[in-house]
Amino acid sequence: MSIDKQYLIDFETEVKERYEAGEIKAPVHLASNNEDELIEIFKGVDKDDWVFCSWRNHYHALLHGIPREKLMNLIVRGKSMSVYSKEPNFYSSSIVGGIIPIALGVAKSIKMKGGKNKVWCFVGDMTFESGIFHESYKYAKNFDLPLQFVVEDNNLSTNTPVDETWGGKQEVPSDIIYYKYKSDYPHHGTGNWVLF
Amino acid sequence: MKYKDEIIRSMEWLSEKDNTIFLGQSVSYSGNAIYNTLNTLPEEKRLELPVFEEIQMGMSTGMAMDGLVPISCFPRFDFFMRCMDALVNHLDKMQNMTEFTYRPKVIMRTSIGSTNPLNGGIQHTQDHTEAFKLMLKEVKVVLLDEPEDIFKEFERAYNRQGSTLLIEHGDHYNDK
Repeated sequence: MSIDKQYLIDFETEVKERYEAGEIKAPVHLASNNEDELIEIFKGVDKDDWVFCSWRNHYHALLHGIPREKLMNLIVRGKSMSVYSKEPNFYSSSIVGGIIPIALGVAKSIKMKGGKNKVWCFVGDMTFESGIFHESYKYAKNFDLPLQFVVEDNNLSTNTPVDETWGGKQEVPSDIIYYKYKSDYPHHGTGNWVLF
Repeated sequence: MKYKDEIIRSMEWLSEKDNTIFLGQSVSYSGNAIYNTLNTLPEEKRLELPVFEEIQMGMSTGMAMDGLVPISCFPRFDFFMRCMDALVNHLDKMQNMTEFTYRPKVIMRTSIGSTNPLNGGIQHTQDHTEAFKLMLKEVKVVLLDEPEDIFKEFERAYNRQGSTLLIEHGDHYNDK
């Protein structure tokens, strides 16, 4: 099934409404205004590839082929920050940087076993600036591992500006996919007061 | 058999499994006692890594998610502390987070640094076994105290679902 921009927006809107109705009793991190970029990137992601991403992962999960109902069920059960799947392989974490060495290990294993699939690792711009990213990137690059990093830059980590706190930002290497966006949603929740 | 010989026997048994890989610092190059328990293994079963313990732990987790059984070696408990996020927040929580969809099997080796005949001092000889037993929910923690327990504990670690941290006593390499 082909997923278009409106499909993604409608999904996230339903999560918003169910969260505001008090149906989801765990944090949700909603995305917006990066639909076009992700749809384009996922044209290169094979169904056998692994996808690793952060707490803001609903679009990635849908685009990698996790069925809508299964994903919504996970979210309603409080699993928005740790969406997972075996077929297709998908793993997310709500700790900054934590997925990166795990993705690196899967890529190393694939190469050691002569596999043809690939690992995609989506990180925010604060995570990109961290030491664990740079060590992992260096290792993956030097050993030519099948690991594609994608940096999703909203210049925020919760509400902390990345450029201000680092005093500047690193240049993104050309072999990393990079895009900027500005979400209409806050870091977590919907921006509206919810009575649980 | 003596303590160190039992560890070598366990490593040789693990190395015969098709899906195992030994990784860390001093698995292919000398420099720590752990090397002397691995140097009889085929070179292709060993992966020498840079000193990046947190990434080593995460890498081991990822390799296990893809079906390998990494024997991840950290020469001292003091150095092992540098991998805490990857261990405590990820490997140790993955079964819960994924509702048992992913149950990575990582066999971790570390050692309480020896104090005899050389005493490595306070940064090289700490024993955090009890703290890890309290902290870890899914990873099993095993202190290898007696030579006769060593092989069966590594055998259990290989055969059980999930991951195991096996802690050796550096002093027992000489005194047991």
